[in-house]
Amino acid sequence: MSAFEPKIIAMVCNWCTYTAADLAGTSRLMYPHNVRIIRLMCTGMLDAKYVLKAFLEGADGVFIGGCHPGDCHYINGNLKAARRIPGIAAILEQFGFSSERLELKWIGASEGPEFQEHITRFVETIRALGPSQAATAMIL
Amino acid sequence: MEKNSAMTVFYLKTDKNPKAGVSAFLGRMLSQSLADAVLVSARTPHSPLPMPAVITDPEKIEAADPLAPAAPFNAARQAVSILRHESGRKIVLVLRPCEIRALVELVKLKQCVLDDAVIIGMECRGRMETPIYLEKAAENPDLTAAFYRDPGLQDAVCASCRICTRFLPQAADIAIRVIGEPTDERIGIVPQTPAGQDLVGRLGLSEGPDSPGREDAVANMRDLREQERERAFQETAGKTDTIEKFQKYVAQCLNCYNCRVACPVCYCRECVFLTDVFAHDPQVLMRRAAKKGMIKLPADTTMFHLTRMAHMAHACVACGHCSSVCPSHIPVADIFIKVGNEVQKRYGYEPGRDLEEPMPLMVYDKPVVE
Ligand code: SF4
Ligand code: SF4
Ligand code: FES
Repeated sequence: MSAFEPKIIAMVCNWCTYTAADLAGTSRLMYPHNVRIIRLMCTGMLDAKYVLKAFLEGADGVFIGGCHPGDCHYINGNLKAARRIPGIAAILEQFGFSSERLELKWIGASEGPEFQEHITRFVETIRALGPSQAATAMIL
Repeated sequence: MEKNSAMTVFYLKTDKNPKAGVSAFLGRMLSQSLADAVLVSARTPHSPLPMPAVITDPEKIEAADPLAPAAPFNAARQAVSILRHESGRKIVLVLRPCEIRALVELVKLKQCVLDDAVIIGMECRGRMETPIYLEKAAENPDLTAAFYRDPGLQDAVCASCRICTRFLPQAADIAIRVIGEPTDERIGIVPQTPAGQDLVGRLGLSEGPDSPGREDAVANMRDLREQERERAFQETAGKTDTIEKFQKYVAQCLNCYNCRVACPVCYCRECVFLTDVFAHDPQVLMRRAAKKGMIKLPADTTMFHLTRMAHMAHACVACGHCSSVCPSHIPVADIFIKVGNEVQKRYGYEPGRDLEEPMPLMVYDKPVVE
């Protein structure tokens, strides 16, 4: 059997983390290819459904990246996302999804190296956790 | 609502008929024009099952039966229907603790206003599922009185009531006290706020000392319920701690959404599950079928339950009505109450405790307590 390669969905803010990812790319910083990036206009639009759906469709981890507090282009969307996450994590935990599989980080537009660092570490965390139970389960 | 530190207890004589005692008490509010209307669970002409009713005529108040161990739904919804905006009429509402909790949440969600309302909360020994109540009521025409004297009948309450630890009407203006009271002789009336005091003060009831054993009765009931709850939570955890197990738990779900309709805090006029978001294009369904070789229809059953939790678990008032209405007899409330409890702990929030306590997702400047 081939080694486990985690499937990571990253939902990141257009104005900061997405730009940081872009910068990491143009600066030729290597980061694991396990990440599928979905761009949000702001983490404030992060709907619990997106996270749940990602896990039910077999994501091994979900990474959310937003602007540092005070930098959100919509004033406080990032703080709202931060408030939402623990509730979603609490629900996922009830059904056996470790809360380590869901992470929120603030990564500013100029922080390409930080993006690389966080993603690399997150992928390793998920690799150590092993595949998510929903990867093979039929979701009804 | 502020609490008085010293609680004065007034007593209503019941003469073996607590139902009549309470309805006479409410009738006086109408005949003395202290209230324009009373919303209370009352018998309708064709069934012993009490339904929420708005009563304005003191002659009609004898139908009121709020102490009956039945509740076909969480009446917070019905309360909202008459409290959607200020009416200038004084409305007295007689509700169970879980209904008051739901009403408090619905006020926070701007579904109604309480400016014209006085809330009378009953101490709650629980409600029976409707079919069981109807069966017992057929055997016993005086079921309400019998319920408070017969522990056997009290054991017939529904699963959610058996694990409810918040059976005292905390946020009410006036509490109707039945626990640890000799209900065949008397029941207690306890004003808990200035508005409650004012109303009770005008009724000329006689004060009395606490019934002996009252405190122990409350403490015992709480202990039993807590133990029962811990046991139920563990049992539910054992049945749902992986996504496969949870899917087995809801395997007979029909996606009828009755649970959501019955839920007092699922307040959206249009649920996202009825919108185009979940009305997938055939291509999408085909693609999803191809991914695992098979897809069950209707799709999104697991997604429905988890999304509903994400939307309202922080506000779940543990009323159990989602289980009561499930045509497939899925113990929906067992899992929602348990998950609700976890989410509420995470945010340090207790739904329905206090009108001034902001809902977890309405504030974002506070870090989340772990
Ligand atoms: S989820 Fe069930 S138990 Fe919780 S408030 Fe809604 S109907 Fe009541
Ligand atoms: S009421 Fe029961 S069958 Fe209907 S959607 Fe809810 S859990 Fe499924
Ligand atoms: S604009 Fe980046 S998180 Fe709001």
